[in-house]
Amino acid sequence: MATVTTAPTQAPERREAPERAVRTMAPRVDIYETEKSYVLLADMPGVTPDGLDVVAERDELVVRGRVERPTTTPDYQEFELADYYRAFSLTEDLDADNTTATLRDGVLRVEIPKSPRMQPKKIPVRTE
Amino acid sequence: METRSTWDPWQEMRRLQREMATVFGDAAPGGRWLLAGDYPPINLTRDDGGITLEAPCPGVERASLETTVIGDTVTIRGERKAEPGVPDEAYHRRERMLGSFARTMRIGDRLDPDRAEASYAHGILRVRLARAPEAAPKKISITS
Repeated sequence: MATVTTAPTQAPERREAPERAVRTMAPRVDIYETEKSYVLLADMPGVTPDGLDVVAERDELVVRGRVERPTTTPDYQEFELADYYRAFSLTEDLDADNTTATLRDGVLRVEIPKSPRMQPKKIPVRTE
Repeated sequence: METRSTWDPWQEMRRLQREMATVFGDAAPGGRWLLAGDYPPINLTRDDGGITLEAPCPGVERASLETTVIGDTVTIRGERKAEPGVPDEAYHRRERMLGSFARTMRIGDRLDPDRAEASYAHGILRVRLARAPEAAPKKISITS
């Protein structure tokens, strides 16, 4: 039933310049379906719009985020910001060309419309 | 003869599962997880002017964010709500944590509550804490 499926969460293929040797992690996501689209929400704290890259190609949605590295080392540390990467498989019933993406308070929201032929169509009933 | 209980790895696993369930709460029909304990993670950076606390907590309702400074402790609170109007059955995947959180951290230095400042940008809460005047570092010059 699910038409947006996640690719295995394996270590991503590094495509950045080799000198940027920072940790990469897969962001946590929610995916839900509405009548007309699929919505993906991804937690990417520390990413600014300039560091965000969302690419929807024919059968794949790739989400990348770069974080600014802190210049000082914390005295007490429980987390380390990392770049984000995650890829999702898209099926043919999605209209990837009309994908929209917004970033607010560290949460990326990607909306992929269903292709028009997959959207429910109301059939008017004539009374005789 | 002394009797020793043998270590049962499965029992250990069950104990961990129980602990996880306590930390994250039950996945209630609303899908809301009440978080307690170690969320959000915190980093502290000290300098002569004070202490900076940073905590990544994306998508939190700004109105719910609250920072309290008492003595040498700082407490941060907030809440992240689910998307409005989306029924549970519409979800194909739910990995993001929802609900309220509160975390208290003892800094070690007495803090000045009147000079604490908090900001929230790109999903990261930053709290700048100032030491109380009596706790501020003093430079001792050598007289002889």
